[in-house]
Amino acid sequence: IGLPTNSAQECQSLEVERQRRLERIKQKQSQLQELILQQIAFKRLVQRNRSAEQQAGRAPPPNSVINLPFIIVNTSKRTVIDCSISNDKFEYLFNFDNMFEIHDDVEVLKRMGMSCGLEVGCCSPEDLKEARTLVPRALEPYVTEMATGPISNVYITGASSTNG
Amino acid sequence: NIQWLGNHIDGASVSRYQDLQKEVSDLTQAEEKLDELITKCNLQLRLLTEDTQNKKYPLDLRKSFDSPDQLVMVIRAPPETEMQVSEPCEGYQVSLKSTQGPIDVFLCPEDSSGVC
Repeated sequence: IGLPTNSAQECQSLEVERQRRLERIKQKQSQLQELILQQIAFKRLVQRNRSAEQQAGRAPPPNSVINLPFIIVNTSKRTVIDCSISNDKFEYLFNFDNMFEIHDDVEVLKRMGMSCGLEVGCCSPEDLKEARTLVPRALEPYVTEMATGPISNVYITGASSTNG
Repeated sequence: NIQWLGNHIDGASVSRYQDLQKEVSDLTQAEEKLDELITKCNLQLRLLTEDTQNKKYPLDLRKSFDSPDQLVMVIRAPPETEMQVSEPCEGYQVSLKSTQGPIDVFLCPEDSSGVC
């Protein structure tokens, strides 16, 4: 090109910098999205359980509830599980004779619909309205964006070639 | 941020360079904004989950994790517990190692026949 070498290099390093930042931003956007989902799901869970308790007039029996955080491992009822436990219960070893799945509590909350369908970008107007009340004002635009699909371009104003 | 671009350069390259500079500075701002929001969100979530009022309202799994043909195991472990899952070709194995306290494992109470 007609540029002096160092300027061409300058352009190239800017291009590299731009790519690097775009990738980091993408990653941070999904991190933020996940945090928003967790916040909404947790608040809705607390609200739901609180009103259930008020309706029933008593707290649910302790052995029917689980406190967060936890992990779920599920498998078919036919799967044989061989389990060894150390005496102090600090170490466990499970052997399954078939496939199993591991889910974290956030995943479970999502399955329960606690995140208003935001995680799949499929959210009714009422759900969206409720979800927006559960986050600080600064995050509302993100929630609105998530209601129609994963966040992609929010706040990257002026960068029209975000996907390029 | 002014850069000397030399004497004989075509306008297209100059504007390409300026566009890039502008874009990088926009992206820098966007990233800073994201960092700030992530920090706030993390704090908010920590305050929520550490609130003892909220701890009073845990998950009612029996109603919510419906699993007619599935066995559901719940694992509650202290922070920093390590979970290792074997490669599927080496069999289906999970190991848990805690350093800070005992781990609790129980079956989802819809089915009372214990395995462990």
